Amino acid sequence: MHKIWTLFKREYRAAVKTKSFIISLVLVPIMMGGGFAAMIIMENNKDTDDKHFVVIDHSGLMTVPLKEALEKRNSEEIFHTNTGEKTDAAYVVEFAEFDSQDPEGQRLALSERVETQELHAIIEIGPDIMYPAGENKEAYLKYYSQHSFNDQIRYWFQSVVNNKLRELRAAELNLDETQAENLLWWINVEGMGLVTVDKKTGEQQDAEKTNELQTFLVPYVLLILMFMLVMMSAIPQLVAVMEEKNEKIAEVLLGTITPFQFMMGKVLGGIGVSLTTAAIYVGAGVFTLNYMGMESLIPVEVLPWFFIYTVLFILMVGSGMASLGATCNDNKDAQSLTFPGILPAIIPMFLIAPVIADPTGPLATTMSLIPPFTPTVMVMRMASSVTIPMWQPVLGLIGVILFTIFTVWIGARIFRTAILIQGQKPTFATLYKYAFKG
Amino acid sequence: MNIIELTNVSKVFGTVVAVNKLSLEVPKGSIYGFIGPNGSGKTTTIRMIMKIMYPDAGKLLVHGQETKFERLKNVGYLPEDRGLYKKMKIGELLKFHGELNEGTDLPRLIDYWLERLELKAYKDKKVETLSKGMRQKLQFIATILHQPELIILDEPFSGLDPVNSEMMRDIILELQQKGATIIFSTHDMAMAERMCDYIFMIYEGKKVLDGTLDNIQDQYGLDTLRIQSDLGTEALKDLKGIDNVNDFGKLQEIRLEEGVDPQKILAELLKKTRISKFEITKPSLNDIFIRIASPERKEAANA
Repeated sequence: MHKIWTLFKREYRAAVKTKSFIISLVLVPIMMGGGFAAMIIMENNKDTDDKHFVVIDHSGLMTVPLKEALEKRNSEEIFHTNTGEKTDAAYVVEFAEFDSQDPEGQRLALSERVETQELHAIIEIGPDIMYPAGENKEAYLKYYSQHSFNDQIRYWFQSVVNNKLRELRAAELNLDETQAENLLWWINVEGMGLVTVDKKTGEQQDAEKTNELQTFLVPYVLLILMFMLVMMSAIPQLVAVMEEKNEKIAEVLLGTITPFQFMMGKVLGGIGVSLTTAAIYVGAGVFTLNYMGMESLIPVEVLPWFFIYTVLFILMVGSGMASLGATCNDNKDAQSLTFPGILPAIIPMFLIAPVIADPTGPLATTMSLIPPFTPTVMVMRMASSVTIPMWQPVLGLIGVILFTIFTVWIGARIFRTAILIQGQKPTFATLYKYAFKG
Repeated sequence: MNIIELTNVSKVFGTVVAVNKLSLEVPKGSIYGFIGPNGSGKTTTIRMIMKIMYPDAGKLLVHGQETKFERLKNVGYLPEDRGLYKKMKIGELLKFHGELNEGTDLPRLIDYWLERLELKAYKDKKVETLSKGMRQKLQFIATILHQPELIILDEPFSGLDPVNSEMMRDIILELQQKGATIIFSTHDMAMAERMCDYIFMIYEGKKVLDGTLDNIQDQYGLDTLRIQSDLGTEALKDLKGIDNVNDFGKLQEIRLEEGVDPQKILAELLKKTRISKFEITKPSLNDIFIRIASPERKEAANA
């Protein structure tokens, strides 16, 4: 144990003292948060230049309401309430007569004006827009622009047109304002947690509303963090061991320590680095959420499981990568073995959506009980807003412990044989030979 | 008392028999030299002693005990292929190796050995800043820092200049005087002759020589002549009874055929030239090595 500890200390210090560790510690959250930051920056730096549109209203019903809405928007809604500064673009609309002689020619001419950026978009309102039932092809609202799918402005026109249509339809049915509101009110389903009993006080706790952040963000962040920790500490073991083999450091150490101690010292060093990183990130996350008054998002009960599963996951993948590194002679060998080695970390990334959508479904449950995928998938399920039966994380943990012991054992056997062999290509046949025949 | 005992130890790699039924006894407190051509099995033997490799057959005892997986305690090992963590500082690296070998009094010993091997000024420098020779000295310190009682050195002098070779030789002899047992492999026959109490030669996996230098030389008898004459090699032309001539310019070393009388050779030479030196001696270790491992002998053995 003393020798593993000595090697662990060296590996840990060698990793955390490097500039790359400190840079990655800072850069990764910046990169992860970069998307959100970019969105906020974009939000605060809107294009305030006027945008020009042409509307062709075949129905003749929407010209006046649109003019009124535009008037209101351009005079009130695009200016900061306190400073009076212009914060959004004004919409300038030209209402065109429909050219019934040459409709395609008219659309082409207007499209060319969009292409030259004289216009932002063209809006065409169908003649039967009041009566869309029965798949009426003349009831349409079309928005022609260069990037119509991403262009959020179309929703402003959609909103104005639909609100007016509802008003007109209610008037046609002689409904008053309240009747019309009741008719059109859409009741949303409220996602609730379960009613529970407080273990300390014995009092019944009311069910709490679930929210989208809790449902999606928490499992997502924990998965990404675990993936990142594995990528930081377990995956580099392959190249590190290969280099120590090629630089003949391995034989010097093997005179003093057994291959198993060598491998474990390195892998535990990696775990130490990961736990340091995790403690910093989780600590910073908890502090930030507390500061923002969002402490309900902290998955307090899941965090111990997260740390246990992360340690085992790194031990499992790290010992596999270290043993594969011992079989490599050059970077080409290392490249060919890296991908199969990181599959247990990558495959769960493709399962984020189905697992979060249905954490107790057959796919999520089954995958969470297959040991290489248990750490990531089980933590995702546990961090979601649903309660999963307690026997599942316990069974998953037993499976992961047994599988980790197996991978460490196999890894040590491969490592022991391969670490001094030069020039032998790592194939599945040689790996099998090293693992089971020595 | 023997510190190491090998009995019929063999190691096979695929179809190649690297070590073939090797038996060897290394007495405690001795310096044992391992010699042999490249690829003859020296390093494999050393790796088996160090438990880095396991014998396929035979018995290997260290301190009278047969342990398979445990690492040997109180042993210093300098492998032929040496490597150091290049990014570590020299002082830190030595501390790491000292701790790994469970050494005591490390800070004092680190300073002592760095001073002794003229590396003190580099203590806080990274390993990558050292020259090849300096790294070799550093690795030697890492090997002996924890004051091991058994020191195994695989080619310790290769790559060192004469001054550093002598420095390291003196230290090895000093460690022996303090009670350590030393095994080292070398291609430097002169160094082996001067330092070793016992010499063991392995050739194609088999032991071909084992014993003290005198014992080994006695096996070959007084069959070597060292001659200095005015005619040099010219004087040796057409001379009967000569097995081999080593020409060193001003001196020729002659190996006689079996049963040839050196006095007859002297008489023949005196008829041709003036002789300034004529010495009848045992063969050198270098000569014995060449006799065993030369390509001619291999061809003759295969014929």
